[in-house]
Amino acid sequence: MTTLTLIFALPLLAAVLLAFIPRNFAVVMRLVALVTTFITMLLAVKMFWNFDCAAADNDGYKFVATIPWLGSHALGIVCRLGVDGLNVGLVLMGAIVAFAAACCSAEIKSREKEFYILLLVMTGGILGAFASLDLFFFYFFHELALVPTFIMIGVWGRGEKRNFAAFQITLYLSIGALLTLVGLIDLYLQVPAEIRTFDIPSLTRFFVEHPMALASQSFIFPLLLFGFGVLVSLWPFHSWAPLGYGSAPTATAMLHAGVLKKFGLYGLLRVVIPFMPQSAQHWMPILAWLSLGNILYVGWVAMKQKNLNLLIGNSSVAHMGMIFLGIATLNLVGVTGAVVIMIAHGFLAALTFGLSGYIHSQTGTLEMSELGGLAKKMRFVGVAFVMAAMAGCGLPGFLNFVGEATVFFGAWARPGLRLVTVLAVWGALIVGAVYMLRAVRATLHGPLPEKWGRLPDAVLWRKLPYAVLLASLFLFGFAPKLLTDKIKPVTQQIVDMANAQEIATQAATVPSPVTGVSTNGTKPAPGGVKESGK
Amino acid sequence: MKLEALPWILLFLPLCAAGIITLFTLRSQKLSAGLSIGAIVSGFVLAIALIKSGGWEAREFSLNWLSIGNLNVDFGLRLDALSLMMLLIVTGVGSVIHIYSYGYMHEDEGFSRFFACLSLFTFSMLGIVLANNFLQLFIFWELVGVSSYLLIGFWFDKASAADASKKAFLTNRIGDFGFMLGILTVFAVVGSLNFAVIQEQFKANPALMGGSATLAGLLIFCGAMGKSAQFPLHVWLPDAMEGPTPVSALIHAATMVAAGVYMLCRVVFLFTPEALTVISWIGGFTALLAALIAVQQNDIKRILAYSTLSQLGYMVMAVGLGGAGAAMFHLTTHAFFKALLFLGAGSVIHAMHHEQDIWKMGALRKKMPVTFWTFLVGTLALCGVPPFSGFYSKDAILAQAWHAHNYPLFVIAVSVAVLTAFYMFRLFFVVWVGDVRSAEAGHAHESPGVMIWPLRALVVLALFGGVLGINEIFAAQFSAAEHAEASEHGLTLLQRIAEPFTNAPVAAGIGIIATLIGFLTARGLYATAKSDPLTSKLGWMSRAMANRFYFDEIYEATVIRIHDLAGTISNWIDSWIIEGLCIGVVRGGTDLTGRALRLVQTGNLQTYAFLFVLGVAVVLWLTLGK
Repeated sequence: MTTLTLIFALPLLAAVLLAFIPRNFAVVMRLVALVTTFITMLLAVKMFWNFDCAAADNDGYKFVATIPWLGSHALGIVCRLGVDGLNVGLVLMGAIVAFAAACCSAEIKSREKEFYILLLVMTGGILGAFASLDLFFFYFFHELALVPTFIMIGVWGRGEKRNFAAFQITLYLSIGALLTLVGLIDLYLQVPAEIRTFDIPSLTRFFVEHPMALASQSFIFPLLLFGFGVLVSLWPFHSWAPLGYGSAPTATAMLHAGVLKKFGLYGLLRVVIPFMPQSAQHWMPILAWLSLGNILYVGWVAMKQKNLNLLIGNSSVAHMGMIFLGIATLNLVGVTGAVVIMIAHGFLAALTFGLSGYIHSQTGTLEMSELGGLAKKMRFVGVAFVMAAMAGCGLPGFLNFVGEATVFFGAWARPGLRLVTVLAVWGALIVGAVYMLRAVRATLHGPLPEKWGRLPDAVLWRKLPYAVLLASLFLFGFAPKLLTDKIKPVTQQIVDMANAQEIATQAATVPSPVTGVSTNGTKPAPGGVKESGK
Repeated sequence: MKLEALPWILLFLPLCAAGIITLFTLRSQKLSAGLSIGAIVSGFVLAIALIKSGGWEAREFSLNWLSIGNLNVDFGLRLDALSLMMLLIVTGVGSVIHIYSYGYMHEDEGFSRFFACLSLFTFSMLGIVLANNFLQLFIFWELVGVSSYLLIGFWFDKASAADASKKAFLTNRIGDFGFMLGILTVFAVVGSLNFAVIQEQFKANPALMGGSATLAGLLIFCGAMGKSAQFPLHVWLPDAMEGPTPVSALIHAATMVAAGVYMLCRVVFLFTPEALTVISWIGGFTALLAALIAVQQNDIKRILAYSTLSQLGYMVMAVGLGGAGAAMFHLTTHAFFKALLFLGAGSVIHAMHHEQDIWKMGALRKKMPVTFWTFLVGTLALCGVPPFSGFYSKDAILAQAWHAHNYPLFVIAVSVAVLTAFYMFRLFFVVWVGDVRSAEAGHAHESPGVMIWPLRALVVLALFGGVLGINEIFAAQFSAAEHAEASEHGLTLLQRIAEPFTNAPVAAGIGIIATLIGFLTARGLYATAKSDPLTSKLGWMSRAMANRFYFDEIYEATVIRIHDLAGTISNWIDSWIIEGLCIGVVRGGTDLTGRALRLVQTGNLQTYAFLFVLGVAVVLWLTLGK
């Protein structure tokens, strides 16, 4: 068993273990969940730490492991796990958020057994989806993590609109997953029958050598783009997210908004764009404009929310726009920035939902008109929330700023995206600040209503998850190279694959490449071998 | 220890202090204050050591912070005359204000939090001063913005303070929006963010930016407009006075608001003549506008705030007129005397139990003699009375306008000088002379030593700051940057004292006359006034001035409304069309289909048999019939 296998298998095994514990041992359930996620987190940190000096296979993946009894050789399905610079950060982020989510689950007071089982299944599923090198398991593990979300919202959710929220989120995400499934199967069928495989590195190699027919590309690409897009709450398919998160139990919102939602983005980068470069070139300007829907439109919606969780939910959707914009640049700087925001937003979304969950557990409401002045009573929570709000509006020092600034630089390098960038900067710097500061003003600042005069601040162990998340944001925000140096070689490769055709045609017509920063003349490495240190 | 480590220590000491206070010493007031004050005083000592060891030579230390493709961002420290001088101002004036705060904030329950925020601010400000590239400058630019947010909203349970902090942050963000776009534009052409590299590229090829040069310059100027509160982004600064008075002195008078001017001077090579013209007029207009508003304010801190706005306008105008050296000179002396004035005002407010209305004060001269004398020195320096420091620096700006033959701006500058003397002596007569107007004023007493000694220290600087040769240091920086001519030989003290009259005697003479006019008018109107006689004399004009020319209302009706409307529309579409209609149709459709299908399931055998036969018939027709 390698570290990576353990990271993904431990939570699932623990879920199985919990099934055998009688339900009146609620404390044991919680303890098992905490210990498991904590060990998972430590393992992920260890893997991240050792990443640079670990041995890579021919495709550049490290910590590769195969689980031989899982899968079907006849269909070319093999459960193979591995990480490269693209997903190592995501696995780390996922594991940290999972631990924080387990810590924040103290609010659950009924059916703890089922809750913790689902929580662990969700954790294992997400980490498995990110670590999987097999297209089938990549999808399967995502579904494994997705279904618990619906149940958790339906059973442990809050608010009157809980049923509608559960219904809406199920509907949207199932449609998204369905579109994705059709697209992925179609992708699988593009390979000649005798060498058909679900192995992502083999598929990558195959599609670099045998570019997919344009007709298939133009059919599969939109399917996957919008299928994954719905999963990531791409505008205008976003309305499930705020209400869903607003009604979900804290831990579910943290895990879904923070980690599970990144699955669609990861899929776009890992599979969709490298496999179908021509369609990518065609669709990316459209995606850039759609991203404005997230950044500006949803930002405006967030400004008008009266419920703190709905505001946070909308802000989380708005942040997705920055990632889409980064991906749409199709150049090294922009795509790397997008990956950085994926990780940053994971920590941030978990932090904000965790904190609002704490406020809810103490006051029983998140209507902002009822709150106010809470910073007087909840010193730690107040400070952490202000920090989270600042990180949310892109304050330097937090990782989010690094990502956003990098995306701006990447997008500006595409002359066609200048107008989009101007509007995106407005959305990020001003609209983002307006709703974040509004949240702070309405909940933490101002006079303290009398009824909240006796609220307790978080006790030491309840501070732990927030401290861990904040520390992660600070650490990478201060030293972004820890992340970017790992991400860079992989995004370079993705960008090269996406622009291969462009470079070829340009080399034939004009000598000077003008596509922007990525085109420093590198051809996609034959056989997908990664070269770092370009 | 290596010398290279010094600037890094200098920069990171306050951050360490802020971190340690937040994490460990919130409960111990003495320890928190000690850490914070210790950090900035050591910073001052280190700054002096740096100048002693390396002189004013330009030098850089940097580490790579981020490198993706062609985007290379260093974390670097640039030391030259400009930044070293600014270091002295920030740490020097900062130290004095930190010590003063120990007395001023003594009874506040957020004492430790206050010092943590103050140290965070110091760190950010030092970062701006030392930054050697645009992105790093932007990073610290945002960080001073947030420390200012935290300190304006220090008493966050007061609604007005919480609103003011939000307003300050958002207005600054609008400026930063332009600043970011400016940085992107410059980077897209030059391909580097480092100031020295950009400057060299510009020197090699002045037409480097082509048509976008003016635009890029103005976008970058937007950043300065936000931070230095220039028209039309000036509205946040007066509200920022909701913060504790030491904060107003340090951040909203001496250092942070000057960061915009500092930034302009740092990248002055970027601006085209057209951009400089716009900059000078915006500066001049702000100076006049703010001075006019100051005439009809009644809150002691707000009068000083508008005065700060007006003086910042002066500095920006000077940059626009090509006098970066003069701008930095005025920035320096302004930091001295305006910090002095604010701390003096703080001493008054402290004695008056947080009463800030000048018409409730009066005759404080005898009750608070030290504060009185120091405040008088600050007033004289601000009004530009020779030989106080403000005279020299203000004269440098007037002379710059005169030499540039920009007479319209010269006239504006002179009228601002008249107004400055007028509103400052209005304040002076009402607060310190005249009759006792309230019970608090009758019971006022002098502040404790920890607050008085900082005033005395600043008095020395406000008195002599003009003749220390600060302007020559700046002049060397900017002339070296532009003409690479030999550094100027030092002037003797006497020459320095007489310099304004030898350099541009007309400008100096007119400046003194302007001050005199302002003083005499103020004395005539306010020496014995019980209430403000101007209010009735000026009529609607007075109301407009007191209401700050309705800028807040105009913004409320335009910018804020538009965003609000966009929000309302988006929210409506979201909840009714996207959520309501789409989901409604899917839900309703599924529901309807279900109901329809249920009708078919009647349980009647004959119906089933009939439908079965019908089905068979249809299938047969389809397969065989065609």
